[in-house]
Amino acid sequence: MYGTLDISTSGMIAQRTRLTAISANLANQNSVMPDGTPYRARRVMFSPGDPGASDPDGREMGSHVSGIEIDQSPFNLRWDPGNPRAIKEGAEAGYVRMSNVNPLVEQINAMQASRAYEANAAAAETTKTMLAQALRLIA
Amino acid sequence: MSIFEDISTAGPAPVLERMIRFAGARQRLLSHNIANIDTPNFIPFDVSPRDFQQHLRDAVRERRESGRGESGELQVKDTDEVSEGSDGALTLTPRTPSGNILYHDRNNRDLERMMQALSENQMAFKAAADLLKHHNDLLRTAISQRV
Repeated sequence: MYGTLDISTSGMIAQRTRLTAISANLANQNSVMPDGTPYRARRVMFSPGDPGASDPDGREMGSHVSGIEIDQSPFNLRWDPGNPRAIKEGAEAGYVRMSNVNPLVEQINAMQASRAYEANAAAAETTKTMLAQALRLIA
Repeated sequence: MSIFEDISTAGPAPVLERMIRFAGARQRLLSHNIANIDTPNFIPFDVSPRDFQQHLRDAVRERRESGRGESGELQVKDTDEVSEGSDGALTLTPRTPSGNILYHDRNNRDLERMMQALSENQMAFKAAADLLKHHNDLLRTAISQRV
């Protein structure tokens, strides 16, 4: 059952990575990249299995981060004609392109990641209890 | 049959041993489902403890009807989802799907049912482990009295 703890741990690691990306999105919602474009939100993608598991049998179980993708949805626009970065011409003249991070969506995602992390921690706790009970049999 | 085999297969010991093995293997499966709670396109599958217990019940009845009474090795038939290897290890082939609706990420997770299954599995494991410990304690007491 030691492998079972690996499975829950892989889920916790995946959720922690997601929460890290969410924190980065919130921290950078007003950031501009070095090339002058606004920051784009990062999205963490999960896949089943744990390629990093030490036990070959455990590689098919658990979950892992298969990639962190850049959200290509349109940038938000803010009316700020005095801003040096404001768009000069066209229908969007006077607007400033801001990052496509939506703080409300990020908050909901953070809550979801936090709950999923708790569920994995509860599963790990249950496994630990079962291991202790199994050890009592031979004690 | 040696006296050791008689002791190790006496009474409820083989049943409890299989219950512990089943709950241990199912815990792995439930942990896997929980670890993939946010994985797109992941469809959680479980094994049916009811079917396994039914096969266990049938095996106990067959042992009793074979005239061996309450001792002797159990012959548990494999189910669609649970098969027993020659070394006694259980291999689970989960086929029982979660009955929840499909979410927008094509995952039909049901967190409440998952956590319920986790608790039930833990309780089944605990019950079997406690009973087996009690059984072993009785044997230990009997042996110590003889010696």
